[in-house]
Amino acid sequence: MICAGIDAGSRAIKVVLFDSDHSQVLSSGLADQGVAQERLAVELFEKLLREAGVERSQIAGIVATGYGRNAIRFADTTITEITCHARGVHHLAPDARTVIEIGGQDSKVIVLEAGGRVRDFAMNDRCAAGTGRFLEMVASRLDLDWEKLAELGRQSKTPALISNTCVVFAETEIIGLLAEGKPLPDVVAGVQNAIATRVSALAGRMISPPVYFTGGVALQSGMVRALEEVLTNPVRVAPQPQFTGALGAALLAGQRARSVAL
Amino acid sequence: MNALPGKLNLSEWDDRYEQLRAGGLSEPAYGGPLRRHVIRERDFRLEQLRFDNSPAALRLWNFLLTENERLHQARARGCQIVGTMKDLGTVPVMAYSLPGVRAFYPDGAWWTPCLMECSDRLLQQAEAMGIDASFCPVRAMLPAFLNGEHFPRPDLLVCSTGAVCDDFSAIAQRLEHLGQPVLWWEMPRRRQPVAGEISCGLPGQLVAPEIQVACVRSELQRVGQALGELARRNLDDVLLAEGIRAANRVRRLLQTLRTTVYTAPAAPLPALEMLVVEMLAIHFCSDREEALAVLEGLLAEAQSRVRQGRFVIEPEAARIFWVNPVADLRAMNLLEDFGGRICGSDFMFAHALDLIPEDLPPLEALARTALADPMVGPTSDRAARIIRECQAGRAEAVVISRIPGASHCAREGEIICGLVREKMGIPAIELEIPPVCDALLPALGSRLQALMETVRARRTR
Repeated sequence: MICAGIDAGSRAIKVVLFDSDHSQVLSSGLADQGVAQERLAVELFEKLLREAGVERSQIAGIVATGYGRNAIRFADTTITEITCHARGVHHLAPDARTVIEIGGQDSKVIVLEAGGRVRDFAMNDRCAAGTGRFLEMVASRLDLDWEKLAELGRQSKTPALISNTCVVFAETEIIGLLAEGKPLPDVVAGVQNAIATRVSALAGRMISPPVYFTGGVALQSGMVRALEEVLTNPVRVAPQPQFTGALGAALLAGQRARSVAL
Repeated sequence: MNALPGKLNLSEWDDRYEQLRAGGLSEPAYGGPLRRHVIRERDFRLEQLRFDNSPAALRLWNFLLTENERLHQARARGCQIVGTMKDLGTVPVMAYSLPGVRAFYPDGAWWTPCLMECSDRLLQQAEAMGIDASFCPVRAMLPAFLNGEHFPRPDLLVCSTGAVCDDFSAIAQRLEHLGQPVLWWEMPRRRQPVAGEISCGLPGQLVAPEIQVACVRSELQRVGQALGELARRNLDDVLLAEGIRAANRVRRLLQTLRTTVYTAPAAPLPALEMLVVEMLAIHFCSDREEALAVLEGLLAEAQSRVRQGRFVIEPEAARIFWVNPVADLRAMNLLEDFGGRICGSDFMFAHALDLIPEDLPPLEALARTALADPMVGPTSDRAARIIRECQAGRAEAVVISRIPGASHCAREGEIICGLVREKMGIPAIELEIPPVCDALLPALGSRLQALMETVRARRTR
């Protein structure tokens, strides 16, 4: 049985085609998000079908997740990112007890039970300072791409202190730090630390090891370091972290298709 | 004109109202179609809400939405109007003990920007007065006092201070500086008795040192004296005792209603109406006797629905304990849209739902009740009560709605969430809900949907 998961995030759309009979990912892909979310999702979905040599009629179920999930009308149902990320990470790392996902628009801390069910979760809802949006702003302000940002963060010896917890004010602060001659890597690492601090405040006392980090921001190695420091726990990056939400959605689509068939 | 229990939007209520009238609906003087509140008072938010379809709910909404009108009419009849702030339930019991006195909460104006979808510009005016969005939406009362377009200026304004939230205190002080006299009374922060101190039992399974109760008693005596001077009648123990008995009639009815609704196999009344009706415990909506009639109507409706097994929310709905009132009423509809129902609540005035002891001297009884206010003691006390009520209501999750800017709940939510998780092992989330939450609906919806998914997944354990 082949199922599809579509994660319509605020920054990118991710699609995973999953063969549940053989428990393997057939294809996965990512496209930048845009205004016409559904069209972008359809295009990516069809591209992956072609690549995997799968007909649309072979797809037993489609689940959409992510911020834009309700715009994906060709999906059979929608499930939130909390449930999908939990399912995706549990599939890849059954020992995971805490999942941290830093997305473009929000961040989440999900606590899992031994069987992978969600025990509790917390999401930030106050501002962009604990999200990938903060890094995007910094990348844009410094005219750096995502990979270069990650590389610079790794080079820092003495991360700058970003005292503001508001992205807008922090931008002013960053300009000030650069004007003072603070090295770029230290500024980037300072921003990563600020995000990690916000996430740790969100997590409160919920953290239970092992901790897995997922979402596109997990590809920033400096963020992993920053999280490990504030959480005082080792943080493991989920395999292909940008796809765990879509993978979870595909797995749940399979589960749903099986229960409908029964 | 009976109909199956359900929820209606405003347009549907227009039709339902005509049907009810044609069927001989009997209404109080403040009755009428809900639509008129949009037309006359610009309560535009009503167009975004869904309401229970019973005549009892119609009466509740009309009662709520005509409070300012009722106060103006009372003033015209020569009644003395008392504004009372922050005590949440105690001073009104005293005020209504005196014939010809009405009490209301000017800080209730915090819902006006929501109801009027900010067309009142109260929040913008408050900002212009230096009270910006970093303060609780209670700031809406400040311009409302000055422009006189909402409630009448009270003849006496009583405000508790001390163990109250900082921004509320700042707003009330600004009001005083603008020329509105305020009678301040001190509320100490409730604490456990230390060795050697006489301990005093309070409603809600709480204790406090006798010295604190004595302090509050003496403060309330001062308030009582001022109320008596206003009414030109001594507020003696006989009057107070009768006032307490009358307040307890309201509280008993509310207790029965809450038990009926929250413990029923499915919800016989929606969450939104329960939020509104619980507020009657603190302010009687400026008419204590009519509050009783409104409550009796809702209780009869809820009991009848339970007897007939007819509900407004399906039995599989996730059982949610809701903490704190929401700044935007729409959030209560949203909970049900995503498959939840309320099985218990703490809207910040749990002490006003407890019976005031009738076997104590009246001022002593009121002092003990006032000191049991969940907002004047440690959060762990409040959390303990929430946990007890979660257990009684078999809650599957807790939602704590934050009020943007409200300093009394800045850290409280996190503490309650932590204790709920630790003691009950159920999920607990915090949601920040501004006075008009439209722009946040997708994000709020996501959080509620995720919570319902989590609850349902836990059921299949």
